[in-house]
Amino acid sequence: MQPRRKKRLLSMLLVISLIAGAVGAMLFALQQNINLFYTPGQLIQGLGEGKIKPDIGQRLRLGGMVVPGTVQRDADSLKVRFDLTDDSGEIATVEFEGILPDLFREGQGIVAQGELRSATVLAATEVLAKHDEEYMPPEVAEALKGIRHVPPSQQPAASNANYGG
Amino acid sequence: MRKALFYIPLALFLGLSLFLLSGLFSDPRERDSAIIDRPLPSFSLPDLQDPSKSWTPDALKGQTFLLNVWGVWCPTCNAELSYMTQLRNEQGIRIIGLYYVLPEDPMFGQVFDLPTLQQEVATKLQQNGDPYQFNILDQQRRLSLDLGVSGAPEHFIVDANGIVRAHHIGDINPQVWRSKLAPIYQQWAAKP
Amino acid sequence: MIAEYGQLALTFAFALSLLLALVPLAGSFTANERALLLAKPLSVGMFVFTLLAFMALAWSFYHDDFTVINVATNSSSILPWYYKLTAVWGSHEGSMLLWVMMLAGWTALVAQYSKALPLLMQGRILGIMGLINIGFIAFSLFMSNPFERSLPFYPVQGSDLNPLLQDFGMIIHPPLLYLGYVGFAVSFAFAIAALIGGKFDSTWARWARPWTLAAWMFLTLGIMLGSWWAYNELGWGGWWFWDPVENASLMPWLVGTALIHSLAVTEKRGTFKSWTVLLALGAFSLSLLGAFLVRSGVLVSVHSFASDPDRGIFLLIFLLIVIGGSLLLYASRMNSVRSQARYQLFSREVMLWSNNVFLLTATLVVLLGTLFPLVHKELGLGSISIGEPFFNQMFYYLTIPFALLLGLGPWVRWKQQKAAPLLKPMSLLAIATLTVALGTLSLLQSVVANLALLGLLLGAWVGLSALSEIYQRLDQFGSVKAGFSKLQASHYGMTMAHIGFAVLVIGVAMTKTYSVERDVRMAIGDKVVLADYEFELQDVYRLNGPNYGGEAAEIDVRRTDGRYVTHLHAEKREYNIQRMVMTEAAVHARLSRDLYVSLGEALPGDAWAIRVYVKPFVRWIWLGGLLMALGALIALLDKRYRRQVPVRETADA
Repeated sequence: MQPRRKKRLLSMLLVISLIAGAVGAMLFALQQNINLFYTPGQLIQGLGEGKIKPDIGQRLRLGGMVVPGTVQRDADSLKVRFDLTDDSGEIATVEFEGILPDLFREGQGIVAQGELRSATVLAATEVLAKHDEEYMPPEVAEALKGIRHVPPSQQPAASNANYGG
Repeated sequence: MRKALFYIPLALFLGLSLFLLSGLFSDPRERDSAIIDRPLPSFSLPDLQDPSKSWTPDALKGQTFLLNVWGVWCPTCNAELSYMTQLRNEQGIRIIGLYYVLPEDPMFGQVFDLPTLQQEVATKLQQNGDPYQFNILDQQRRLSLDLGVSGAPEHFIVDANGIVRAHHIGDINPQVWRSKLAPIYQQWAAKP
Repeated sequence: MIAEYGQLALTFAFALSLLLALVPLAGSFTANERALLLAKPLSVGMFVFTLLAFMALAWSFYHDDFTVINVATNSSSILPWYYKLTAVWGSHEGSMLLWVMMLAGWTALVAQYSKALPLLMQGRILGIMGLINIGFIAFSLFMSNPFERSLPFYPVQGSDLNPLLQDFGMIIHPPLLYLGYVGFAVSFAFAIAALIGGKFDSTWARWARPWTLAAWMFLTLGIMLGSWWAYNELGWGGWWFWDPVENASLMPWLVGTALIHSLAVTEKRGTFKSWTVLLALGAFSLSLLGAFLVRSGVLVSVHSFASDPDRGIFLLIFLLIVIGGSLLLYASRMNSVRSQARYQLFSREVMLWSNNVFLLTATLVVLLGTLFPLVHKELGLGSISIGEPFFNQMFYYLTIPFALLLGLGPWVRWKQQKAAPLLKPMSLLAIATLTVALGTLSLLQSVVANLALLGLLLGAWVGLSALSEIYQRLDQFGSVKAGFSKLQASHYGMTMAHIGFAVLVIGVAMTKTYSVERDVRMAIGDKVVLADYEFELQDVYRLNGPNYGGEAAEIDVRRTDGRYVTHLHAEKREYNIQRMVMTEAAVHARLSRDLYVSLGEALPGDAWAIRVYVKPFVRWIWLGGLLMALGALIALLDKRYRRQVPVRETADA
């Protein structure tokens, strides 16, 4: 083989292996950072056809409606506990320490992200309230990322409804 | 070999656009509604403008109608009022409103006040058109919850026997009406 | 009537864009000089009409014409006049019109400042711009018409502009961002024109460079401003969220950065041709993809107003034509082009090639992270979200080699560089870097092996390298003073932008490491100590604003040794009409640190949830972005880009 061609081949091989390595690393990192979305019903009954239930300690996002009357605050810290439900009627509990979003209300749809502590308790690191459902230009939607959009597919059916009371 | 390399970007883009296309069509709002082909849940709710009158599923039977979940607080609902008025006037579609009362927020000093609400609704309907035969007031949102409503506006087609035949999440525009709802409405309205 | 005039003007602009796309392009193939000469007046005419349309919409907003649906839903008569005007681009329809006007504006600018180009090239470039204009004007006109009326039923009062948009940052953020997105259309048109002509000498790269730089500058400013605004207005103290909409703006920025560097190689060395053309196509394609993602509702919006799948389909077809068509043209034309230039493994060419590799990998990371949830869902695997750690982790790994190369790159010669002559300056630089980084850290905190040390090392390496490289370059002219005016402006621009990057890296690393963030429960009189600062809640009282209520908190800040620092005033506003709650954070900003306080909800027992942050060096993040944009501006002033332009005659529009 001519030295020039050899060099070309070598550099090609180098590039290809680099790309393969980079894509592999990326996909691996991606797998580590996927947060599956559950509703309380899916959390308790299992998700999809296989009825897969998440493992304790798994990171996930839980979306549902805050059950009115279940928000309990700690008297001298920012610890808070509340229940979430969806149209299945199942109830899951969220524990959180920190400031709740501006739009957090009982009876409203929220999404909590965190680690599963037991079969029905989520230790949340982040609580997101969805904002109103009116149209917003993308720039405003961007601006609202602190109060992230919750796509309707991730909302429990009763998110905007409220239990009578 | 070298030539093929230059087609890689095109191939990648075309692959990506396939997903974009399917993403566009898998309308996230399309969900199987659990209520379809089942009778309306039982309820007894007052009329919005005349609270002494009360509506039950039986009172609605006899003719196919479009049940529209809405509220004056919802801009999309207000935007579709004029088209629905057109449907009522031109095609004689029977439209019944299910008025969805927002949960009162004490933070804003809100309390439920029926006369104010009646006034707001009347003004809005005067401005944008009034498609409704009458409005049912769902103050506790219990009927909306039973129907599986996730927001406003939403629409249900209910046949003469009080069976829910279609559930549409989102607004009604000419396209949606023609392609999705009108066939179902006509089908059930034609049955004796 | 004004709205109808606006509609009419937009229709005229549409007709002109059709002519612009047809006549000069056809003329370029039949060598019809008269057809080619038409390109310039058509471009300018198109811009004038889009400007008129935009002004008509602005007039409707200014005069509260609530029969126009767009005005009724996004403005109200009690808004101050300047917010009425900015409400023009506060909605999808209005912002689309702004986009169209800017695209036509760039087209007109290209027409004005391309006298040095051969007539054939001029006609082709403007024709391509016309094609892109057709798509967007048609979208604005037929799919999201801002002039639609709601007669005969119209409201007497509008439903007001979103309070979030009633802010200075939000006023200029979208226009700057759009200027950047749309500006890449110019590089795109240059690349397509070169593809059609089949000529890839270094001249097209030289023509495309200033336009690319200008677009990149606006995009940089737009992104930076968005980040700064979010930090100030959202009450979360975050400056980057890896949100799909943000990612949509970051992707063209990364590819644009790669393009700027690749263009340099193509201009100076006549090589990397196929690569540069691909990047020029890619930068604009990603801008389009971003527009599609955020406007079609595939990724973000919920229950969007009059949610119309037709819009998404229109944009997707447009995407297929523009991106698919250009990539097809690229594949069929480019495979016969070969670069002749030879270069060794250790040369500036390879350095810049690696720069491109890292920037494109970063783009891939963002693209993957943004679209993976969509793919995952479409494959029926369920709804997911990609956590921020993914992006942070990947960018961490990419930045280290990128910054190391960036410090070395400007020293390396074209074609071939012997290692020996660089050994001495590089080792001196390495020593200086270590001294500066460790010195700074030991002054500020204790020296520990952490992200801050890494960031300081990388930042100092890049910054010091840029500074000493320009010193050495100036010195070659005899003395620094003599060289000062001789060195090209683009070289100063490069140095400035690289220093900006160094500042950004330091800012990110220091903020990430040393930020102290606490959410605390405080009653009046309570104190909390955070990183040498003592915050005392003095008072909380009801607010009575013109159209909002809420609560305000007064907080005193002292050093732990008792020295008074500042007084902070944080608010939580409740806008009654729109039922929106807005957090107005209080920020005390210094170059070395920010003190950040925001007021949360009231808790039982006369206490409040309060968010207290001390964020060192957070200002450096935006300062870095500003310096990068400044670098682009300096490079734009380079005489080289204007040398061939003959004496400018008065513009005849």
